[in-house]
Amino acid sequence: MQPFLHFRPLWPAVAADGATALDLLIQISAPPLPPELSTRPRPPLNLALVIDRSGSMAGSKLSYARKAARFLAGELTSRDRLAIVTFDDEVNVLVPSQPVRDPLTFISAINTIDAGGCTALFDGWLAGATQVAQQLDPTALNRVLLLSDGQANEGLTEAGAIAAKVEGLTQRGISTSAFGLGSGFDEDLMGAIAAAGDGTLAQIESPRQLADLYASELQGLASTIGRKVSLGIRGKHGAELIDVLNDLPQTVAGNFQLPNLRHGQELNVGVRLQLPAWAANQEIASVRLAWDSPEQQGRQSLVELLTLPVQPKAELLDLECDPVVAEQFGLLQANRERRQTIEALDQGDLQGALFSLASMDERLADLPQSEAIQRERQLLAEKRALMQQDRNLSRKRLRRESLRSSLSVWEAVDDND
Amino acid sequence: MVKPLSSSASAHGADEAVYGLDQLLELAGDQLGEEITPRTVRLYATEGLIDRPGKDGRRALYSQRHLLQLLLVRTLARRGLSLSAIAPLVVGSDAELQQQWSQLDESAQPAPAAEPINNALAYLQSMRADMGGESEASASLLPLLGSPLSSRSPSLRASRMSGRSSASSSRWHRFSLAPGVELHLSESASIPPAGSRREAWLKRLIDRLREQLDHQD
Repeated sequence: MQPFLHFRPLWPAVAADGATALDLLIQISAPPLPPELSTRPRPPLNLALVIDRSGSMAGSKLSYARKAARFLAGELTSRDRLAIVTFDDEVNVLVPSQPVRDPLTFISAINTIDAGGCTALFDGWLAGATQVAQQLDPTALNRVLLLSDGQANEGLTEAGAIAAKVEGLTQRGISTSAFGLGSGFDEDLMGAIAAAGDGTLAQIESPRQLADLYASELQGLASTIGRKVSLGIRGKHGAELIDVLNDLPQTVAGNFQLPNLRHGQELNVGVRLQLPAWAANQEIASVRLAWDSPEQQGRQSLVELLTLPVQPKAELLDLECDPVVAEQFGLLQANRERRQTIEALDQGDLQGALFSLASMDERLADLPQSEAIQRERQLLAEKRALMQQDRNLSRKRLRRESLRSSLSVWEAVDDND
Repeated sequence: MVKPLSSSASAHGADEAVYGLDQLLELAGDQLGEEITPRTVRLYATEGLIDRPGKDGRRALYSQRHLLQLLLVRTLARRGLSLSAIAPLVVGSDAELQQQWSQLDESAQPAPAAEPINNALAYLQSMRADMGGESEASASLLPLLGSPLSSRSPSLRASRMSGRSSASSSRWHRFSLAPGVELHLSESASIPPAGSRREAWLKRLIDRLREQLDHQD
């Protein structure tokens, strides 16, 4: 089951007699699951659910967290393993990793979870990760699901340091998803964990959404065809990569890390290349996609070479631009600019933040008003209204939306109702 | 002729130690307490579980790394891991292999059913070791976690529970007394019944708190 790489330039040609700034959309698509394979059992899952039981989780949040955990246990089979870890200022391995032969074992343990003290988030992750690691199975999907409603305030708390440790584990075959719940969690930390963890970021404002989130996470894991996906872009003959709009994290080898690839999914990466005057039939760049497959041993990869028609600069102006590329670049740009809005907010500059939202909307207003663009403008308008009422929630949503370019972000169907 | 490995040579590291097949089998057999046949070594080499040996003419030469790989593969296989599950665990750097082996070797001594070892686990364990304080908790849990479920007796569970409540790592409850002021109370703390004894207890706490505050001024 191979993904595809497809190039779509904003303009269909490059200049023969002068420099070109080439805006290029790289589309990575994973084929939908063929019907004859849809009845085939999914790969086994090796999961640890790590639940924050700090004092702030008391009440309905914890009650929904228990309910959702029971749901998760009920969805797994004896081929899967599950561990349940809770943490407040200390960590408790509630159920050590074991096959889900009888969900009742898990459910009765889950029912004992009650609220305690501070938030030793990193230690909780570490205990969950250890549960998964002890049962590490290269043929299974090995993942830690970390649910927290709070700031890490006990043990290791610095986002960069935590992310570095999570990343190290990703490299050794165990991914991490980060689920922030309510209005008190640290969205920057949870985003950093999910990015470093090659997992899903979710920010859920109501604990009622937890069960839907877990269902979607299981579905996502089951349809994963590529993990640790990376994209290498090498300019040739003097072509130079000057920007990747998705702001993807980079590997030591200079490749860009992409979220997991799932059946029927398409990832869009927007790049800008700077070209000198170009000769016909000269390759512009080679793009290499690499990933770990749940089905095959070893690293999988595929390489595509980019060439484009060459024309005199004067004639380029008469060509038509690709509206799909223009749309995607507009969306990627808007995700990126949300970071500036957040920076303005963090400096207490509400006017600056509002202004940056307004200028994003102006640029989007110049594009053909496709469904996606309209939806995006609606999101921006909501943020503008929300910023006056609830700056914290507005910042959380902006952070989540800014990360859509670079990682798997869960979005509830009724998220903005 | 290759000299037999002396103990000081092994301490100096991988590069200097070179063995013939017989020496490799003998060293591995000693450490594992079982006889290893040339066929086993050839099979593992064919399966890619240990690196291909070097050559000196027609003679195969093995290094400390080969020995480590052989030790790891045999030990993990004896614990029931399939060869395909072992394969990813024996490709690390020499240092990683050495670390895995010392952990396996250590855990093999007290408890025969210790946890399977892999890169991810070694990584997390080294993280715990770096953080110091956590090692105690992990040490008390690991024997339980590594054992097969069927052998997990009720007494093990009970010992774990009592271990938790008697040690410093008991459960804590949190009470919010005023904005920004919290009281953390261990489950093992005994609170006197309501009445004069409790009043005296509270007074002692207040005095203690006052001392602390005065001390800060």
